[in-house]
Amino acid sequence: MAEVKVKAQPPDADPVEIENRIIELCHQFPHGITDQVIQNEMPHIEAQQRAMAINRLLSMGQLDLLRSNTGLLYRIKESQNTGKMKGSDNQEKLVYQIIEDAGNKGIWSRDIRYKSNLPLTEINKILKNLESKKLIKAVKSVAASKKKVYMLYNLQPDRSVTGGAWYSDQDFESEFVEVLNQQCFKFLQSKAETARESKQNPMIQRNSSFASSHEVWKYICELGISKVELSMEDIETILNTLIYDGKVEMTIIAAKEGTVGSVDGHMKLYRAVSPIIQPTGLVRAPCGLCPVS
Amino acid sequence: MTQAEIKLCSLLLQEHFGEIVDKIGTHLIRTGSQPLRAIVHGTGTSLDQVKKALCVLIQHNLVTYQIHKRGIVEYEAHCSRILRILRYPRYIYTAKTLYSDTGELIVEELLLNGKMTMSAVVKKVADRLTETMEDGKTMDYAEVSSTFCRLADTHFVQRCPLVPDPPESAEAQPPPPAPTLSINEKDMYLVPKLNLIGKGKRRRSSDDDAAGEPRPKRPKQTAESKEPMPDDGIYWQANLDRFHQHFRDQSIVNAVANRMDQTSSEIVRTMLRMSEITTSSGAPFTQPLSSNEIFRSLPVGYNISKQVLDQYLTLLADDPLEFVGKSGDSGGGMYVINLHKALASLAMATLESIVQERFGSRCARIFRLVLRKKHLEQKQVEDFAMIPAKEAKDMLYKLLSENLISLQEIPKTPDHAPSRTFYLYTVNSLSAARMLLRRCYKSIANLIERRQFETRENKRLLEKSQRVEAILASMQATGAEEAQLQEIEEMITAPERQQLESLKRNVNKLDASEIQVDETIFVLESYAESTMKRS
Repeated sequence: MAEVKVKAQPPDADPVEIENRIIELCHQFPHGITDQVIQNEMPHIEAQQRAMAINRLLSMGQLDLLRSNTGLLYRIKESQNTGKMKGSDNQEKLVYQIIEDAGNKGIWSRDIRYKSNLPLTEINKILKNLESKKLIKAVKSVAASKKKVYMLYNLQPDRSVTGGAWYSDQDFESEFVEVLNQQCFKFLQSKAETARESKQNPMIQRNSSFASSHEVWKYICELGISKVELSMEDIETILNTLIYDGKVEMTIIAAKEGTVGSVDGHMKLYRAVSPIIQPTGLVRAPCGLCPVS
Repeated sequence: MTQAEIKLCSLLLQEHFGEIVDKIGTHLIRTGSQPLRAIVHGTGTSLDQVKKALCVLIQHNLVTYQIHKRGIVEYEAHCSRILRILRYPRYIYTAKTLYSDTGELIVEELLLNGKMTMSAVVKKVADRLTETMEDGKTMDYAEVSSTFCRLADTHFVQRCPLVPDPPESAEAQPPPPAPTLSINEKDMYLVPKLNLIGKGKRRRSSDDDAAGEPRPKRPKQTAESKEPMPDDGIYWQANLDRFHQHFRDQSIVNAVANRMDQTSSEIVRTMLRMSEITTSSGAPFTQPLSSNEIFRSLPVGYNISKQVLDQYLTLLADDPLEFVGKSGDSGGGMYVINLHKALASLAMATLESIVQERFGSRCARIFRLVLRKKHLEQKQVEDFAMIPAKEAKDMLYKLLSENLISLQEIPKTPDHAPSRTFYLYTVNSLSAARMLLRRCYKSIANLIERRQFETRENKRLLEKSQRVEAILASMQATGAEEAQLQEIEEMITAPERQQLESLKRNVNKLDASEIQVDETIFVLESYAESTMKRS
């Protein structure tokens, strides 16, 4: 009589049991567990069974496989995602993952291809699928108008993509910038005028003709000519264009941290000035303006 | 010597000295320094005429000579000096504002005659002034001499270099082919002690009273002038550098007045006046002046307290313009004027104004932006200037084609593949200034030619009007009737009169624009010179 050696399966060698144990472990370590950790927990399970359990969990979409410099990591996946992706297959999940990782800057289709190693046709099909399911959206970049970046549906695109307050629907709002330009200049000019009329001590006169960027910002907000909320940096870019027009000069002074409008311990002050020379002699003769060289 | 400069010099020489001098002068400018024989050969004019032309040019300081090895004398024309002829009206006007009519006439005489002795100048100016004065009054020589001395003290006129006295140990050396002229620094502004007594003589066409007396008097007068004057051999010329210094100071003061207020500009003017004689014209900084000295030298009418003066000086030193700098604290604070920076700012403002007028204010914004930030990429230009991408690109390319902006390539890879290279826009101020300078010369040449064309076109009309005026004057002198005068006047018809009016207006306008373009030339030239000296 040949004795068939039957390996007595330990009581918790049931595949489902193994999976549950692994899931519990993953819950304990939300950052991920290595293969080593699982082996330590359940030393009596063979490597093959472990591998099978892990594979099943991966295919069911309950575990995430990540690579770190120590080896492979397994992480529990958020439950709501598993609900959404019910109808999709692995490739779509992969592409979705990549887009999600790109955050609010979005990712270009070519970059998706590099990261996932999928052929272009597949990528296009998957992207169309995801768009129709309203999981991702395409945003046209303001820098290169042909480029489309993809990001999750409910995310706000980053400033660098849409251009921020000066762009509305990919269009540069020149009139808006012009109007703001003129308003800021008028404000600074009137301030300089009042300072000059006061006829005091020259130091006081000069100091009172300055306006900090915070004051200008408050003035523009109160005017209410802008539909979009403008930050202090936006106002500073407008004031910079006035400097390049030669109508305004700027100084930076050190300010205490607590004072209103100070950024990193210094404040920018702006003042309206007049140009230092009259239009020069050459341009008063027709030769100065002649287009013939 | 660019083509534009040579053309302009030729036009100026022709207008002021005539065809032959023009030919010789242009030949010398084109070919550099040449000996006499080569000039004769090159221009194809006779030796006699070449000699006379060279005499005229040397008298006016436009040509100098040098003895080269082997005893050959070579003549060289100075293009820059010839271009100064354009600025004569400005020099004369400056002298008028500083020293009134007497000064104006002295400078005018010196400029028109090149070099003159003091006594000759004084006599001529007194005569001219006497003519314009009322009957019975004459101009005293002493007044003219005193103005002349003041001009010499403030360095507006200077002595010409002279032949040094021959050494005592006369070894009977053969005289050198050409005298070498030299002058001592100390002697340059030394006015000789002259005893000029006399009054200006009025040139009268007819003497009503004492008709018999003038006759014997006249031979005596001419005999007087034949006696050698005590200052024979000491010739004076106008010191153009000093005038340039004055123009530069004026433009700095105006700039400060525009940027700040009147009082600050007065303070800067005082500082500049104090450093007039102590600082050489090419220095980048004036000598340091203490605030006490400035307070003492302020003009009498300006009574501001010392405190206020100190405040103004601090404001000036802190201003982003950086015209005035503080160099120390002794004596209440030592302040210098940064001349090089001031000239650079003025030149940049000129460039910006030219860009603004020619291309529009948006281009001017881009130009100022690139000027301040030195090197910028295309994308950065659009972002900083807040101009839509298409328009910004268009304007940058327009400025690029005019050579006001240039591109700097910075390759990322050893093969300069265009897709992997940075292209940065930058403004090279010196070369842009030079390019605009050339354009200025061309414009003035155009203006002069147009003026000559206008006069040529209407030559017949001008001659007719001159004839009529001469007839009128002679008839008035001989006492003609009203009716006859009217008849003569009507010889010029109304449309002709209108034509004459418009001709006069056009010629005046063209003249005025020549002077205005010359102002731009002055700013750009001083900037170019100051930058070259620094580097």
